[in-house]
Amino acid sequence: MAPRKFEESVLPHLDAAFNYARWLTRNDTDAEDVVQDACVRALRFFSSLRDDNARAWLLSIVRNTWYSRFPKRAGDRTIELDDTADERPGTDLDPEARVIQQQAVERVRLALEQLPPDFREVIVLRELEGFSYKEIATIVDIPIGTVMSRLARARERLIPILRASEQPIGETRELS
Amino acid sequence: MNCLEIERQLDAYIDGELAPAESAALREHLAGCATCSRRLAERQSLGQLVRQAPYYPAPDRLRMAVQATRNSRRLTPTMLAWAASMLLAASIGGVMMAGTRRARTAAESSASIANDVVAGHVRALMGDHLFDVRSTDQHTVKPWFLGKLDFSPPVTDTAPMGFPLIGGRLDYIGGRPVAALVYQRRQHTINVFVWPDTQPAPPEAESQRGFQVQHWTRGQMTFWAVSDLNQAELGEFARALQQ
Repeated sequence: MAPRKFEESVLPHLDAAFNYARWLTRNDTDAEDVVQDACVRALRFFSSLRDDNARAWLLSIVRNTWYSRFPKRAGDRTIELDDTADERPGTDLDPEARVIQQQAVERVRLALEQLPPDFREVIVLRELEGFSYKEIATIVDIPIGTVMSRLARARERLIPILRASEQPIGETRELS
Repeated sequence: MNCLEIERQLDAYIDGELAPAESAALREHLAGCATCSRRLAERQSLGQLVRQAPYYPAPDRLRMAVQATRNSRRLTPTMLAWAASMLLAASIGGVMMAGTRRARTAAESSASIANDVVAGHVRALMGDHLFDVRSTDQHTVKPWFLGKLDFSPPVTDTAPMGFPLIGGRLDYIGGRPVAALVYQRRQHTINVFVWPDTQPAPPEAESQRGFQVQHWTRGQMTFWAVSDLNQAELGEFARALQQ
């Protein structure tokens, strides 16, 4: 294998690190602080990166950093409106379709933010980052069986939350 | 299997985490059970909805701050000496390269191509030059390569399988111009590098620096797919492309 460098093996996963931290902290400032701290730690412990999975390794450091900085993991923080959240590349939709798409994005964001962090993170790691159960087990530091049951419970919880928000505020439905 | 057992395994099933035999048993039950099929459909549409959640990429400010931390640590005297020697090595290396490349064994060259492929993927994503042609239409992407390459890469639309084509570009792998096709799965980018190679090689899958790489040959073309997707899903993509 080629000699590994921090730039080549860790920096390409900065987006994944930030996305995860952003979902854990639910705000940009804290997420930036966590990732920056995590990268300093990653640099210090870089020689301990044994296996080839730098992405999972970096995210486990992000998680530990977040955990040590926010030990209370406040679940009751007020949710701020974030209008930059909907910008995703590669979607060429007409204006009307884009509005519908943005409503769906916003609805899912609010639903996920309502979940307790333990549930929220497994959903983010699985659905947005595409990690396997084994990788999630490494990052979150729980057994694979727990990953499976936690994901199942997180999804069970999401269904009623999403169903309750099915009718977006301000939209009227025609009576037939 | 009864419905209770199915319920316990349903998430692992849709996440592709069950062993083939378990998946088969579950499918058999689903075929004859409306309740469980409904539950599966509900889970699948939940998945589609959830994957629309915002993905927060790292802000440039953060990227620069991390780079700065990195650089301030690097500027020690030993590091500077090392950098100077690397510069010298690079200038000599340019001369030596032509000779050593020919001497490589097939295995070494395969490993070095995998390296090149991952480097190409990272370069495209970091340098923000992912597309020369940006289109989800295979009939736009394929003709774009005409006149730019001495071969015509097969361009397959795998959108129905959940891997939409989003564009293509010219790239260089192993010192030759190749076609790079760009596909997407959720927020993950997949680069597929294609060039002619008449020597058939067995399919390979490997992991490099946290990226998954899959290689196969087909119709006198060699294909290298790379992504930060997990191996199972990249495998699914590779199979979709070969259909």
